[in-house]
Amino acid sequence: MVKYFFKRLFRGLLSVIAVVAIIMLLVYGLMDRTLIFNMDENYAKLGNNTKIAYRYQKWDEYGYLTYVTYSSWLNSLLEAGEIDEDTYNAVATIGRTAEDDSEETAYYIQQFYDYYDSQGYKVVRLDAKMTTATKVANGGAARYFAYKNKSLVSRVVTYFTSLLSFDDIHYVDEDVDIGERGLTFTLYDPAYGGEKFAPAILGNGTQHKYLLYFSSEFPYIHQNFVTLTLGESYSVNTGVDVFKTMVQKQGSYVTSTVYYPTGYVEESADDVHTATYVEGSLALSTLYQERYTDDYTNVELSKSAMSKMAYSFICGIFASLLAYAIGLPLGVLMARKKDTWVDSLGNAYIVFMIAVPSLAYIFMFKAISGALGLPTTFTINNISAIMFVAPILSMAIGSIAGRMKWMRRYMVDQLNSDYVKFARACGTSESDIYIKHIFKNAAIPITHGIPGTILGALGGSIITERVYSIPGVGGMLVQAITYYDNSVIVGVALFYGIISIVAAILGDILMAVMDPRINYTTKAR
Amino acid sequence: MEEKLVDLSDLGLSEEELFSSIPMDAASMEKITAPRYSYWQSVFRVFFRKKINYVVLGALLLVFIFAYIYPSVHGYDEYINILDTSANHLTPQKAFEKFGFNISWIFGTGNAGQSTFDAIWYGARISITLAAICAAINLTIGVLLGCVWGFSKRVDVVMNEVRNIVGNVPSTLIISVLVLVFSASFWTLVFAMCITGWIGVAYSIRTQVIIIRDREYNLASKCLGTSTFKIAIRNILPFMTSFIVTMAATEIPGYISTEVFLSYIGLGINDTTLGKLIYNAQSAMVTPGWQWEFWSPVMLSAFISIVLFVVGQNIGDAADPRTHNI
Repeated sequence: MVKYFFKRLFRGLLSVIAVVAIIMLLVYGLMDRTLIFNMDENYAKLGNNTKIAYRYQKWDEYGYLTYVTYSSWLNSLLEAGEIDEDTYNAVATIGRTAEDDSEETAYYIQQFYDYYDSQGYKVVRLDAKMTTATKVANGGAARYFAYKNKSLVSRVVTYFTSLLSFDDIHYVDEDVDIGERGLTFTLYDPAYGGEKFAPAILGNGTQHKYLLYFSSEFPYIHQNFVTLTLGESYSVNTGVDVFKTMVQKQGSYVTSTVYYPTGYVEESADDVHTATYVEGSLALSTLYQERYTDDYTNVELSKSAMSKMAYSFICGIFASLLAYAIGLPLGVLMARKKDTWVDSLGNAYIVFMIAVPSLAYIFMFKAISGALGLPTTFTINNISAIMFVAPILSMAIGSIAGRMKWMRRYMVDQLNSDYVKFARACGTSESDIYIKHIFKNAAIPITHGIPGTILGALGGSIITERVYSIPGVGGMLVQAITYYDNSVIVGVALFYGIISIVAAILGDILMAVMDPRINYTTKAR
Repeated sequence: MEEKLVDLSDLGLSEEELFSSIPMDAASMEKITAPRYSYWQSVFRVFFRKKINYVVLGALLLVFIFAYIYPSVHGYDEYINILDTSANHLTPQKAFEKFGFNISWIFGTGNAGQSTFDAIWYGARISITLAAICAAINLTIGVLLGCVWGFSKRVDVVMNEVRNIVGNVPSTLIISVLVLVFSASFWTLVFAMCITGWIGVAYSIRTQVIIIRDREYNLASKCLGTSTFKIAIRNILPFMTSFIVTMAATEIPGYISTEVFLSYIGLGINDTTLGKLIYNAQSAMVTPGWQWEFWSPVMLSAFISIVLFVVGQNIGDAADPRTHNI
């Protein structure tokens, strides 16, 4: 059994890799790559050659290609000791056109060309853009660089190898003296003033200062040993990882009493638990020196509202609970009153929900709840429980129909079974037959979907979240698509892929637990 | 009651006139007398036994006339009143006051003074065509491949993997990415909805085929030397007609729904479709007096979907030979 599920998991992971490869092929290979700059304000301000160079630099950052400039190549030569400072200064500036180069510069330019051309790079020289015969246009200085498009395979490999990063005490460059490297375990977390009982693991030499700590926020115990990286966003949440965008808090800053490592106490929004290492940062700022004792100065700020995933999950989980709590009994009722008006009414509802575009009934529901005085839009800085009512209900009305449909189907399918006839012949009461015998059997296929609904709630719902302006995960994909943010598209696809694989496997396990007749190890006929 | 028998000798007819001899025919002796049964005739007989079906067929006909004939006869010009700002966002009453009574104005006017009624039918034509083309392609590919998938165990292994891969990505994601990659046009949308859409159809067909393929009558057929192809076409496909029709009934509203959804998130095609109209009229929903612009396309798409769905379901029911009870 265990072996079977490991096999399933392994195959599932392979298929996730295939999915990511397909999505990458689509968005990186087929889409016009200048579209990613649509939302970039910096890009719009630049002109001439600077704009072109910026473009390549960003493409390099976001994994389209490898980009090397002439000056960075010279720099590496200088560091390797192959050229001296004087030569570097003499050849670093290239002429406005190739004819303007000095003899020495021309030599190195040729070297650069030979070296990168032999490695399959495309070498580009942009001549200076002139406004007059002597004046260079704004951003028009000559550029010399080489680039090479990344292949799909290398992109997929890099993506998956950098997916999980493990923090260790050798993160900080070994040449930097930061005192003794290691992990310290404390029962009294200094971030709470050092008196309150709160276990924590602190690191020195790691990327994060706090590797394990407790807080009053869900999920109460937090770790930084392993970080999941789904891809850095370009325009949805600039520079922040997709997964972090999903789980980080939103809204306005909230201040609380913060105990800094130096013992300094202040009302501030800084969250000392999130401190990460920035080399040499302490020496740069007196503000830091007052508060921190080492280079772990980069902290995040506490915010008032929950994360995207939390909002999606709350809405999703309550909607599914409602769907099961209402849909299943109604489905049972329809099966019991088969071919009566109850059944027809239920069927009419199911048909209506299937046939009407989901957008249409969600809007209808929004209009109705608006008329009833329920709030129909989310305001992130003033969250109240009543705001959740309308979105949860409108998510539920659709899935109730689904639950009813399948519950009725499975119940009706069982009605003519021999065991039902036998129970009836034995004189078992009708309600006992339905509840104790039929329901138990009919519920087995229903349990298969339960893990899917729970995990699916993490992914949010695209339409409902947009209609009610809920700051959830569901909107990210749409936002990524409208902003042409490729890494977010890939990251979200991977996230959904993992969710659905794990859900399918958990569903199978749950079904086997519920029904001992189901066995995955013996081979099917 | 006393029986009245006719004495043949009273008729005064000769033996030859009364009787004729039939030669022995070996072929006709093999025939078994059965009531006349024609499959499609029975389907229609059962279908029209339900009176509601006349109503839904009438509604369907009305939808087709308005969607396909009305716009080409009447014409639709989105910018007809663009220069007349007083024509924008009119309720039906105000539109009647301004333009006089005409069927075009029964749902008022839109943000450029265009007729909402004309717009929704013009949009409906594109939406229905899109849904029908996608359903036709997906059902054809899905049914054919599903049959092969169900029959061949080697294909089954490969296809299950394909399904595992594609099924793991939400179809919304695939469609959105494809539309994004190849700019939004009618045929891009068709391509995006068909590239993965057939897998679901094929998988359901495969399950049905696996259920039916090992039944006794197919084993018997196989023993008699019928080829697999013939078994698939003659023995199994007719069994699934009702299943396929029912599936088509849910597929078409599904595509309309997807198109509406895509337009809503801003990825729809650049022509007037029901989805585009709903998307454009989002703000009108909450503006007093403008609601007609929003609710008209919403209600029309709901209406079309329900009518198609009910017709499909009922044809599906009628197509099931078990309901024919002869």
